[in-house]
Amino acid sequence: MTTNHLSETAIRVRGLRRTYGKGAQAFEAVRGVDLDVRTGSITALLGTNGAGKTSTLEMIEGLATASSGEVAVLGLDPVRDRAEVRRRTGVLLQKSGFSGDLTVRETLRLWHGTITDPQPVDDLLEALSLGHRADVRVSALSGGETRRLDLACTLMGRPELVFLDEPTTGLDPESRREVWQLVSRLRDGGATVLVTTHYLAEAESLADRLEIMHAGRIVRSGTPTEIAEGHPSTIAFTTPAAASAPLPGDLAAVTGAVEEQGRTTLETSDLQTSLTALLTWAERSSLRLESLEARTASLESVFLAIADGRDPAVEQPDDTPDSGTTDPALLEGATR
Amino acid sequence: MSTSAPTRPATTTSSGSGGGFSTRRTVHMARWNAVLLTRNKLALFYATALPLAPLLLVLAGADGDTGAGASAIVSSVLVAGLFPVYYNVLSQFVNRRDELVLKRMRTGEVRDSELLAAIALPGVVVALAIIALGVPIMAALGQPWPLNPLLVAVMALATVLMFAAFAYWTAAWTRNAEAAQLTSLPIIMLAVIGQVSIAFPDTLREIVSFTPGAAITELVRVGWFGLAEGEASDPSLAFGDTWAAAGQPLLVLVAWTAIALDLMRRSMRWEPRS
Repeated sequence: MTTNHLSETAIRVRGLRRTYGKGAQAFEAVRGVDLDVRTGSITALLGTNGAGKTSTLEMIEGLATASSGEVAVLGLDPVRDRAEVRRRTGVLLQKSGFSGDLTVRETLRLWHGTITDPQPVDDLLEALSLGHRADVRVSALSGGETRRLDLACTLMGRPELVFLDEPTTGLDPESRREVWQLVSRLRDGGATVLVTTHYLAEAESLADRLEIMHAGRIVRSGTPTEIAEGHPSTIAFTTPAAASAPLPGDLAAVTGAVEEQGRTTLETSDLQTSLTALLTWAERSSLRLESLEARTASLESVFLAIADGRDPAVEQPDDTPDSGTTDPALLEGATR
Repeated sequence: MSTSAPTRPATTTSSGSGGGFSTRRTVHMARWNAVLLTRNKLALFYATALPLAPLLLVLAGADGDTGAGASAIVSSVLVAGLFPVYYNVLSQFVNRRDELVLKRMRTGEVRDSELLAAIALPGVVVALAIIALGVPIMAALGQPWPLNPLLVAVMALATVLMFAAFAYWTAAWTRNAEAAQLTSLPIIMLAVIGQVSIAFPDTLREIVSFTPGAAITELVRVGWFGLAEGEASDPSLAFGDTWAAAGQPLLVLVAWTAIALDLMRRSMRWEPRS
């Protein structure tokens, strides 16, 4: 590993695994994660609840020990080089707490004294719009205010690398926007951010790179556009009455079909061609396709497909090597 | 370079104590823990007012009898160990663990050992102050000054260290702050049984003499008042005799301190019990 490589990569993870429990109760929450986070970028780690995001983050932060695998944070080992890693990173946990009997300012002063090169308390109060609440006890803060106080502690040590585990969950839309503006400013100031979130639209507009986790693995990586690109577009319509003509099995460019609760969804690698073929067939069969929808792939559709286990490019928990191709049987047996 | 980090249970403590303990950070946090203590009136009462009670008892019933003086000081040392240190540290730690305050602090530069020391420190300072306060009070009442001050100091330090370690061990199996009222009982019993053992038959007293409470009782009687074993009053020990007479109780107390620290190290829990 060259020095140059180190300075470009803030986080490098290879083959990371984490198993909870032992014997029959053992559960592998993280099943071999590889991840590179470029210095100065915002990377969003997405995934459903239980996908392994928080476990992965905790191992990278050095809060939990990996069962196996390698982690380098700023070129350092987060467990062995703990002191230096902590001095240069900021952590926001998904859930954390403060003593309710201290005021906002007192809490920040408490943190201030534990940090090597802290920002002034007043600067942080202002940056996180907490100035007017400075002398209020933490127990009297709203959820959004507590989250901002939490963020103030995260940023107090002027971190080069910031870990944010669902920073905006539970915040109202305005606070959420403020937090994301803050995250953008961090990147503009040269910091690297690794963030998990449930808000896909936010991730899409703010992150430079997305990593989608499912069942303990990263299953898709790239810019939002790249992720949507490789994913099929969809055509959906109310399934025509049983008496009518069956859907032809060889519609142009269609790669998959699913019939669920009276609605047929087709996946296609070429939306226009498939749509034309479908409409021509409907015309010839004198069929009216109710509630017809055609959609180019979006981050949301990719995410939902992965979460539902519908994404053929994503192997499900029992491992077969990822072939990258679609099983043609999917189309045959599609209309159940 | 990165390294693989397979599970190594024996080294997990290194994440908290791997060198570089910062006294500055510890004292800073201890100060804020003291502020928090003053904001919880009930906790403050247990930590400061209650342990003063035995000293007041001496003031009220003082008659210059050495044995009575010794038992007042023993009570005061035990109560100082049990309330400002043991019970206070136990409930503060459990509270802060359950509120995820500790989890949050551990994401920063603070080390585990600093967090533990900072939580214990306010109570330890109160306890040592109460023990020290006993010296002028005794003297004012015509009781002797500590005969072997070094022995008394060692006894006081070992006592607070032992009770702090027992507090963290108890916290590991205490579900929440209310449960501490129950889970603290075994250690409280272990501490006070030595004082009531005077009334027990000889064989039982022999066994009880190996409890930390009995060791503290002996060390106060020997080190402070020069009372030989079994003497009710009229001390017979001179300074030179105190070391030999204190041998067994000192060993017992140091052994309990080592046991408490070992139990603590094996059982530390930083996240709420679910």
